[in-house]
Amino acid sequence: MTDAVVDVRELRKTFRVTEREEGLAATLRSFVKRHRKDVNAVAGITFRIGPGEVVGFLGPNGAGKTTTLKMLSGLLHPSAGEASVLGYVPWRRENAYLGRMTLLMGNRTQLVWDIPAADSFRVLQEIYRIPEGQFRSTVNELTELLELQELVHKPVRNLSLGERMKVEFAAGLIHSPSVAFLDEPTIGLDISMQVRIRRFVAEYNRRTGATVLLTSHYMDDVVALCKRVIVIHRGRLLYDGPLADLAERMAPYKIITATLHDGAASSTDLDAYGTVVSREEGRVTLRVDRQVAPERTGRLVNDLGSRLADISVEDPPIEEVIDRVFTSEQTTVSA
Amino acid sequence: MIRTYRALLVAQIQAASQYRVQSILWMLFSVIRPVIFLAAWVAVANSQGGQIGAYDVRDFAAYYICLSLVSNLTMSWNAYDFEFEVRMGRLSPKLLRPLHPIHYSVVENLVWKLTTIIPLAIVLVFVAITFDARFRTTPMHLLLFVPSVLLAAALAFLSGWVLATLAFWTTRVHAVSTFWDRAAFIFAGQIAPLALLPGPLQTIALALPFGYILGVPAEILRGGVTIPTALQLMAGQVVWVVIFYFAFQRVWRVGVRQYSAVGA
Repeated sequence: MTDAVVDVRELRKTFRVTEREEGLAATLRSFVKRHRKDVNAVAGITFRIGPGEVVGFLGPNGAGKTTTLKMLSGLLHPSAGEASVLGYVPWRRENAYLGRMTLLMGNRTQLVWDIPAADSFRVLQEIYRIPEGQFRSTVNELTELLELQELVHKPVRNLSLGERMKVEFAAGLIHSPSVAFLDEPTIGLDISMQVRIRRFVAEYNRRTGATVLLTSHYMDDVVALCKRVIVIHRGRLLYDGPLADLAERMAPYKIITATLHDGAASSTDLDAYGTVVSREEGRVTLRVDRQVAPERTGRLVNDLGSRLADISVEDPPIEEVIDRVFTSEQTTVSA
Repeated sequence: MIRTYRALLVAQIQAASQYRVQSILWMLFSVIRPVIFLAAWVAVANSQGGQIGAYDVRDFAAYYICLSLVSNLTMSWNAYDFEFEVRMGRLSPKLLRPLHPIHYSVVENLVWKLTTIIPLAIVLVFVAITFDARFRTTPMHLLLFVPSVLLAAALAFLSGWVLATLAFWTTRVHAVSTFWDRAAFIFAGQIAPLALLPGPLQTIALALPFGYILGVPAEILRGGVTIPTALQLMAGQVVWVVIFYFAFQRVWRVGVRQYSAVGA
């Protein structure tokens, strides 16, 4: 991958924060001498992203995701390390770079509240120096994809959260950026709006070939959009590879669910086949080692015989895998 | 850049039109202080036989009318806005566009002045008639007033931005800018025309930037200084604009690196 669009090497960001204990004495002491502590928000991460990829950037709160996106978009200067996006060093914030990328934050607004979005779009047209023809076709395309017809002529403050987010997306993409950093793009939105935004991102990526790096706490976003995920925790890279392999690498077990005709699952002793995770009326869920899963399934089918109504073997839910990654803090695995 | 400014102007005028009443109230508020000082000086002058130094009652009226106009034309409130933007993370989207954030402020500033200048002029004409103001303005004074008020506006704007940029280091710029405003209150010619300040204070005032923002252009407009003096004072304005221009460049460059995108 020599033509990486995003190329990050040993990127670090250390914040210096002031700390003090509670109480009057500590407060008075802090007037004279402040205790400062270094916090490693990003502790040396390395990855590359090729053109047109949609990559999920995962990690719990405080993992360093947003800090990384801010460095890649040029808002923050790193403490150490290097990065290049589209061949530019982001934090030099050259106009040529700013004109080709976007950072969309789900909980931030960049539109002027008091005027309709259509007027903000005109301002952005001039700022980004978008030729009239291209501007019209982009606006039409975004209007169609995001169903904005009604929305762009109302003052932004009169829009609902979901409506505003759609308009924000349009504003953020009006200059047809080649790279989009999306930070929690669906946060706070209802399910149907989340689905629409997801569809839009996928469609945008397909139509324009833009490279997308997105963070989200909604695994559905990631599953729907990203073939590849990068997982970071406490500023370090834990996993970088296909989403499909994440479960295999990080959660070396499968989930077998067996449903019994007689509904007597609670009385059946299935501990011999694997770890029983749950027993409900007629249904038992087992966790078994990945390697032995086919063999255990076979034995279950054999042993339960005609009592078995249904059986399924699945990877654990992605949320569970992620949670496991974060709680166990495994060492870096790269696929 | 002209097209960008035009687009920003249109958008800002639209936004401002939603706050017409607020703009007018702000404008009236900015006139109250000079009018109070005017009334006070008129009272003092009358008790001393109608004359203090080179100023009689009608000169005071002309001075404070000019001061109100200059104050409106040079007003800059960036420090307050900017601190808010940094603290709330609102600066981030602006930093990510290929346009320096200062341009948004220039436009906001211009629009405010454009939308308030006419009602202000009406109020000032009314004050002028009430106090029977006497202007000693010659055409040459008027000619010099134009660059002088532009320099003053630039100086107010740039010094405001230097203060505002401190928000990169501390998210409590308010304290610093309040201190700045208090100093301006004494040394800019608000509490009294600079010519009436006691000797040492006058020297200090002319060595500080504040007077070049308000008192200097106001006196030029009133015709209260000779043309050579006006030119000398304008040279002082140029020096301060240059100083603050470079200070701003420097502080901004370092500050943006410092910017930790608080809450952004």
